[in-house]
Amino acid sequence: MAIGTDRYASRGDTLLFLACVVLSLAALSLPPQWREPLANGLQQSVLAPFIFLQRQTELLTAARTRYDNVVAQRDSSSLAAAFLPELRNENNRLRALLGLSARLGGGYVAAEILHQPEPTNPLSFLVSAGRREGVRPLSAVVSPEGLVGLVASVGEHASVVLSWAHPEFRASAIAQDGSVVGIAAPHGAEGPGVWLLELQGVLYRQQVPPGTVIITSGLGGVFPRGIPIGVVVGPAGEEKGWGRTYLVRPAIHPAELSHVMILTTPRPAGADLRNAFTTPQDRGAPSEVPQ
Amino acid sequence: MRRTDRYRYPIILTVLVVLHFTVRSHLGDDRVAPDFLLLALLIYTIRAEPGKSAAAGFIIGLLRDAMTPVSFGAGALAHTLVGFSSSWAKAVFFAEHVFVKGCLFFAGTWLRNLIVLLVSGKLQSSQVAWELLVWSPLQGLTTALVGIVVLWFFRGWLSPRRPGGATLGVSA
Repeated sequence: MAIGTDRYASRGDTLLFLACVVLSLAALSLPPQWREPLANGLQQSVLAPFIFLQRQTELLTAARTRYDNVVAQRDSSSLAAAFLPELRNENNRLRALLGLSARLGGGYVAAEILHQPEPTNPLSFLVSAGRREGVRPLSAVVSPEGLVGLVASVGEHASVVLSWAHPEFRASAIAQDGSVVGIAAPHGAEGPGVWLLELQGVLYRQQVPPGTVIITSGLGGVFPRGIPIGVVVGPAGEEKGWGRTYLVRPAIHPAELSHVMILTTPRPAGADLRNAFTTPQDRGAPSEVPQ
Repeated sequence: MRRTDRYRYPIILTVLVVLHFTVRSHLGDDRVAPDFLLLALLIYTIRAEPGKSAAAGFIIGLLRDAMTPVSFGAGALAHTLVGFSSSWAKAVFFAEHVFVKGCLFFAGTWLRNLIVLLVSGKLQSSQVAWELLVWSPLQGLTTALVGIVVLWFFRGWLSPRRPGGATLGVSA
């Protein structure tokens, strides 16, 4: 490493800088079919030890939390620690995950989210399960609360998940009572901590009251029927054309999660997962999405 | 240049990289928690030539793009620009003061997020506004604070010295 204090950019520095900029622009313009193998190659080579390290840290944290949970049941002095809000949330989440896994009955893989600090992290993130664990592209990614996203690309031990906040995300949606059909798509942000979805393509003659629970319809074959997407909060602006659009408060924000479940086995036609999830109504009135 | 600089810098940078993949996820919200990788890059750029800083930024950015491939290349471009600018600005303004370096860390983090947001083009305008006005400044602040702590903790290792052996400047 060259250490110096009195220097400005020389011609060599400028050329190196320009070369890096050109390479960055080239990477930006790579088509997706080249981009994914390159990203997978980096994940499986240079980044493999770092991903392994992060995964082990997450596993260690989860193990420690479970250990704390057991100790808390035996030791009354540890009980106070269990009431710390963060620990209690983590415990609830792990319990809910266990509950969800029992209700799903199989055909899933649990994975840790490997969060990154970039502002685009909620749109697309890495999870610690890949091809070896049975994950395939376009597998649905869920949490006990509902739909998180879908698997975009799969590596050996890690996968890239496209969350519902990604601009290209779409899911065929239906009201829980089956009265309204539409397409769920990301809407954007309403404030610093509230990201919303919208239900597009609802027939103009159909009114959707606030509080209506929206779930996946199962059409299209990507998402099984019955995964909660969110709750309708109201119409989205002016009506245009022959359809209506409604704002939907998502069931869960990706930034809240530390673990997810990836549905690996295709469900039989007509299968309904509605009873496997805690619907937003079960959790009371929808509140602002915490970050 | 001290002979021991050859291994002191890599040790500090390695510690930051390890902290990024182990400790960071437990420091709260992703958008607020300090970015140790970027901090390592910025500390490297304080002493390295702008060209090498740009190359280091490009490599770090490309590796990060592989982990958040929503806009592959945006991170590489952002880190290249931040690395080069930081090194160049440090050479031009040359203030061996911990506050100036803290400002450098803050500005570097904010600028990186700005470039990633603009180049990726994936977020809507309201989201970009919240990111740039709320979350990025908070992340810049935490990164700068951690950077100042690192500079203070390793001040004996990081402070430049004259050939004769006397330490230049004040802290860090």
